Amino acid sequence: MRFVRSWLCWLTVSLVLACVGGWAAAPAVAADTVNAYSIWPENWARPMFEEFEKATGIKVNFVRFSSGEALARVIAEKNNPRVDVLFGGPVETHAAGIKEGVFESYKPPSFAVLPARFKQPDGQWVAIADDPLVFMTNTKFLKENNLKPPASWGDLLNPAYKNMIQMADARTSGTAVTRIFSILEVYGRDENKAFDYMKKLRPNVQLYTKSGGGGTLPVGLGQAGGGIFFIVDALDTKAKGYDVTISFPKDGIGTSAEAIALIKGAKNPAPGKKLIDWSTSAAMQSLFAKYKINFVPAHPDVKIEASLAEVLKGTKIFPIDDVYAGENRKRIVERWVNEVLNLKD
Amino acid sequence: MGGPAGRFLIRRSPCFLEASFVIGIAAMRANSWRRTLRDPALFATVVTLWALLALFILFPLANLLARTFIEGGHFTLANLGAILRDANHRQAFWNSLLLAALVGLCGTILGFLYAFTAVRANLSRAWITVLDAASLLLLISPPFTSAIAMIFSFGARGLITYHLLGIKGFTVYGLHSTLFSETFTYFPIAYLTLKPILHGIDPNVEDMAFSLGSSRWRVFRTVTLPLTIPGLANAFLLLFAASLADFATPLILAGNSFPVLPTQAYLQITGLFDLKGGAVLSFVLLVPALAVYLLQRFWVSRRYYVTITGKVGAQTAIKSVAPWARAPLLCACLLVAGVILYFYALLFYASVVVALGANHAWTWQHYRVIFTEGLKAIHDTLIIGGAGMPLGGLYGILLGYLVAKKIFPGRQAMEIVSMINYALPGTIVGIAYLIAFNDPPLVLTGTALIIVACYVFRYSPTGIRATVALLQQIDPSIEEASESLGASSGTTFRRITLPLILPAFFAGLGVVFIRSMTAISATIFLVSINWTLITVRILENMTELSLGPAAAFSILVVIIVFVVIILISGLLRRFRAAGVVEMTSILGG
Repeated sequence: MRFVRSWLCWLTVSLVLACVGGWAAAPAVAADTVNAYSIWPENWARPMFEEFEKATGIKVNFVRFSSGEALARVIAEKNNPRVDVLFGGPVETHAAGIKEGVFESYKPPSFAVLPARFKQPDGQWVAIADDPLVFMTNTKFLKENNLKPPASWGDLLNPAYKNMIQMADARTSGTAVTRIFSILEVYGRDENKAFDYMKKLRPNVQLYTKSGGGGTLPVGLGQAGGGIFFIVDALDTKAKGYDVTISFPKDGIGTSAEAIALIKGAKNPAPGKKLIDWSTSAAMQSLFAKYKINFVPAHPDVKIEASLAEVLKGTKIFPIDDVYAGENRKRIVERWVNEVLNLKD
Repeated sequence: MGGPAGRFLIRRSPCFLEASFVIGIAAMRANSWRRTLRDPALFATVVTLWALLALFILFPLANLLARTFIEGGHFTLANLGAILRDANHRQAFWNSLLLAALVGLCGTILGFLYAFTAVRANLSRAWITVLDAASLLLLISPPFTSAIAMIFSFGARGLITYHLLGIKGFTVYGLHSTLFSETFTYFPIAYLTLKPILHGIDPNVEDMAFSLGSSRWRVFRTVTLPLTIPGLANAFLLLFAASLADFATPLILAGNSFPVLPTQAYLQITGLFDLKGGAVLSFVLLVPALAVYLLQRFWVSRRYYVTITGKVGAQTAIKSVAPWARAPLLCACLLVAGVILYFYALLFYASVVVALGANHAWTWQHYRVIFTEGLKAIHDTLIIGGAGMPLGGLYGILLGYLVAKKIFPGRQAMEIVSMINYALPGTIVGIAYLIAFNDPPLVLTGTALIIVACYVFRYSPTGIRATVALLQQIDPSIEEASESLGASSGTTFRRITLPLILPAFFAGLGVVFIRSMTAISATIFLVSINWTLITVRILENMTELSLGPAAAFSILVVIIVFVVIILISGLLRRFRAAGVVEMTSILGG
């Protein structure tokens, strides 16, 4: 039996060695890379990070998550951060993160020139873009049902939309949180009235999607009649060739700054700060047009792209108060889950 | 068992699917301790394996239970109570059970139809190959494939509901489509379970009933069906468990009116960042999952029947299906196969047009995207699968060899513990790993090791069982004979034992690799900045705007897995798999 014994030994040793090997193979911290969670979809984040690498020689390792997921990860990893920067995402996400103490204050060079609503006073986050919400409807659906593009929040309550609206789920999506706070603003922060509206809208909602842009494709395809999305997602759907109509409510709709933040305890703080410097600069934000990313630039020196300006002309758009939103986000989302999402008809 | 067939039945000890060990007599315990300590190699191996099992199975599970039941150092039922009091979570629990039961029922019926047609309808080989291929395709697919196809076919503007049938505003989200999609995804498990059982019923038994004047229906009712009942129960429970654990299909198709537990637990953690809530929800899911597993393993699977007629060799023509019934049965099966092929054709089509539904211009753009932007995911997945493969194979035969051939204390416990991660829904395993390895002493989140370990310990049980089954087939006297004929123990091992274990090794590593390519429920919690997976990218693409890349990724996975399956089944054939480790057992896991 000696052979079998040595065979057993050999197998055991190789099993253990392989485990140790797998452990040791975990990538080390490198000087010229920065790790980030991107809330921007990959097709926008990637060209930006490639441009950043071209400009600075620093490579960005990133993975994309919905804002809720990204925040959840950052909080979970608080004691042992895996990334240096949280890139993009509506600012309520970052505001909620401040409460959890996951960010490090950092004021990039552009900090001074940015308007107040595009920066947290201590530099816990800084805006890299602005992103208004819009109504997006399927043009064919409108025609078939003899509808005009919705021009007020009340228009969406029309029974013609019954079971045909898709919008994001507030548990995972920042788009949804911005939407809910928009409705709160429209109703003068009267929570009961705002929730009454959302409950009335519920029967028209076909699906609450996991991510903010999740409903754009169904609306483009006509699987859904319409929805409420960020303008970047809506214009992107249109650019892909889907026949959709973009409209704005006359009672106003919210816009949310897209922010960037340095993670507390970041393993690569220096390149992380460089990424923040570059993302908040005019250099990056003037690239939006080149890559057909329809964010509104946050930096005052960058001109808004002409066709985007045309879409936004004459609309009533108000910023979401990030302090109010950050303080109430958790409670409002929970109330939304209980009263709206799980509403029994 | 009454009926005409009764006297021909014996109960068989279930060495085919399951391994039973009839050891554990108290008197042997002390002896086994002494023997183990005297054999240092065995001792070291046992200790190592226990350490690994403790680390990667018991420790995460203990962490999950601790999150659920311990609050501030004290045992409490408050967390569980809070979840159970919440009407939405209760609803999700009952929804999960309802869905699982319905999937079990429908899938078993469909699987039986398929198996019965394949075995009893006198089909030509070509038709059986078609049926096999259609079910194989489903088993090797990444998640979401049928869900994507469902939305495109049955959505408000679906190809079938809107364009073909002209139904306006059809709601695709809910129980009905989740049930439909899961039934299609999982019925091959029932097919693979029932086919060998129907095959094992000697047609002579049916012949005897015919010759006694029974009608075909009566024979089916009183002979064929009763003989398959244990198999049907087994298939039902396997499907029940598969549906209970399924996370991907409900995430896409269940919508908001039909929440189920795995999806709720996922949203609780990823969305609300409520690890505790997620842990408690997983625990709630654990109870029915474990119950079903124990029922399946220790009760149903022991009740297989084989028929012994005394002249097994003389096959008579199968008469149990009337000639007129053959065509409808085949048509029904082909209809199912047709739906499956349609799903995949649609998927492929989605991967080669610019934007399905809007712009049907031909393009390879999506494949270019997955091989540039998605290359990291492909690369990572192949590395993780490639690393898990030999580890899973080694671990499987090592543990299988020990529990089948060696006597040491805690042997049966080792076998049971090794099965735990396999029996639990992936969401639970993933959450348990996330909780256990996120904080010191052992920080593994963010490494490849945690994903590899998750796959190895979750999917190796197929290899373990195959090893045990193979080793139990040989009487120890074969090895003894070899040695008494003068062969050294080395030669005996090389010539006798090794060839017998090799198929199990390949089966084990095959399963680990295939699941690395296709599974998502556990590892979605474990991907990180350094390591991502194709399946997670598919979900990401689906929830974003990019259906094309999601479809292209799916097609790529199907191709890779298909190639690997062909390679492995080639190897298995070479090593003469003795009928125990067929490709079916690779996929059934």
